[in-house]
Amino acid sequence: MIDIKNVSMKFNLGIEKEFSIKQAFVNFLSPKARKTRKKKEEFWALNDVSFHVDKGEVVGLIGSNGAGKSTLLKVVSGVMKPTKGKVQVNGVISPMIELGAGFDGNLTARENIYLNGAILGYSKKFLQDKFEEIVEFSELREFLDVPVKNFSSGMTAKLAFSIATIVNPEILIVDEILSVGDIKFQEKSKHKMMELIKGGTTVLYVSHSLDSIRELCDKVVWLEHGQIVDIGDTNRICDEYFDKQMGNTKPKKK
Amino acid sequence: MIKKILINFKRYWFLMTQLILRDFKVKYKRSVLGVIWSLLYPILMMTVMAIVFSQMFRFKVEGINYLVYLMTGIIMFNYFSEASHAAMTSVVDNFLLINKVYIPKYIFPLAKCIFVGINFLLTLIPWLGVIALSYAGLGEYTCHFNINYLLLPYVFLCLFLFTVGVGLFLSCVSVFLRDVFYIYGIVTTIWNYLTPVFYSIEILPTKLQYLMRFNPLYQFLNTTRTIVVYEQTPSLATLGMLGFLGLAAVAIGSIVFKKNQDKFIYYV
Repeated sequence: MIDIKNVSMKFNLGIEKEFSIKQAFVNFLSPKARKTRKKKEEFWALNDVSFHVDKGEVVGLIGSNGAGKSTLLKVVSGVMKPTKGKVQVNGVISPMIELGAGFDGNLTARENIYLNGAILGYSKKFLQDKFEEIVEFSELREFLDVPVKNFSSGMTAKLAFSIATIVNPEILIVDEILSVGDIKFQEKSKHKMMELIKGGTTVLYVSHSLDSIRELCDKVVWLEHGQIVDIGDTNRICDEYFDKQMGNTKPKKK
Repeated sequence: MIKKILINFKRYWFLMTQLILRDFKVKYKRSVLGVIWSLLYPILMMTVMAIVFSQMFRFKVEGINYLVYLMTGIIMFNYFSEASHAAMTSVVDNFLLINKVYIPKYIFPLAKCIFVGINFLLTLIPWLGVIALSYAGLGEYTCHFNINYLLLPYVFLCLFLFTVGVGLFLSCVSVFLRDVFYIYGIVTTIWNYLTPVFYSIEILPTKLQYLMRFNPLYQFLNTTRTIVVYEQTPSLATLGMLGFLGLAAVAIGSIVFKKNQDKFIYYV
């Protein structure tokens, strides 16, 4: 179960510039200019977002690029703390946001399975039990003792995917259905993702593919400019969203 | 709160061991001697410095075994310097992970301090070897193994805590201000010379000798040397102070780290 209450997320676009001697000097000379500049550089990636995901519910997130979908996923998974508001999550989250973050190229595939698994929060016992399954799924048995830096990008992705999807998740966070590798593996990985999402767990699913949203989601949240445009029935909102996007009119802000 | 910390710690202990294991594997990859380097390195360092200071500069610390004196200084200061540097860069180095997955961030500096700490324990083997060889006449004076050696684990533990504290603090500050990487490099060089690693405090003017008491690393080095080189029992006050230094550093480091860790994500 996920409960998101009045969550706002502020980014300061000026942070990159702030830390130079030149900027410090300018700030020192005119503190007033600094204040106005700061205001201008504030960016609210999320603005007063509230919704609720029940246990076992599959909720889709749609919206154009930069609408705040990924930021919302990061807030829910705990990578970011919201500037305002509260996120309450009951259950262990399996984030499937980025594959292979934390691979070390110098280590072999075998070593990376353990390292990456630990990063994703798996226990030692779980990894030992599932090791065979991971290797089997990745189709990389003969390369188990090769350093990952010698892998092709497809092979790396296959390995990462196999580690990430071995979970029996309580709460699953998915940023696009990932289908990686060659044609055969793409089919296989897509199938595996579908299986995970449909497996009766709580899912928060971001996608630009309206077809897959319609197929999988019980409910859809439409985000635009960090605000919720609408929440509700999957088909109705997908239709509205599609019309708005294609009609090229800006959606009304709430 | 302590219970919560412990549960969290237990949950991420496996990750910590994996990170430490990773460092070991990467460190010795493609080197022929591998882990033997950890044993050989301090011996070679000691030999070079012993030759430079006792032969070229005619440096002498009267009445004691200079080789043991020197090596004690080298391995302890090197532990602090190496671990605090590795800890300092650890958060910035792992920003890809921090940005993607939720992991308690203190794990990175702590894992580095433990990793270098295991290396430190390995360097104790050649260190003990040099002490044992002093019976055979290495370094003129004999350093006798004595009952006070039982205090050494405590001294090293305090040094470890002190290093963790400094590491937490630096890794946090360096996220916001990368200049710290360079500044701290200079600071450790200065600190190295201000700590009697290769010289004895007696050659300093009295005023500096007094100030030296405020150098925490001097206290750690001096206590170990009291036990090993001078074969005396350190006073309770000294031992208490080492504990205080360790705990105070960890407390300050953790508080600073905890207060700022939620902001890391915007700066890395």
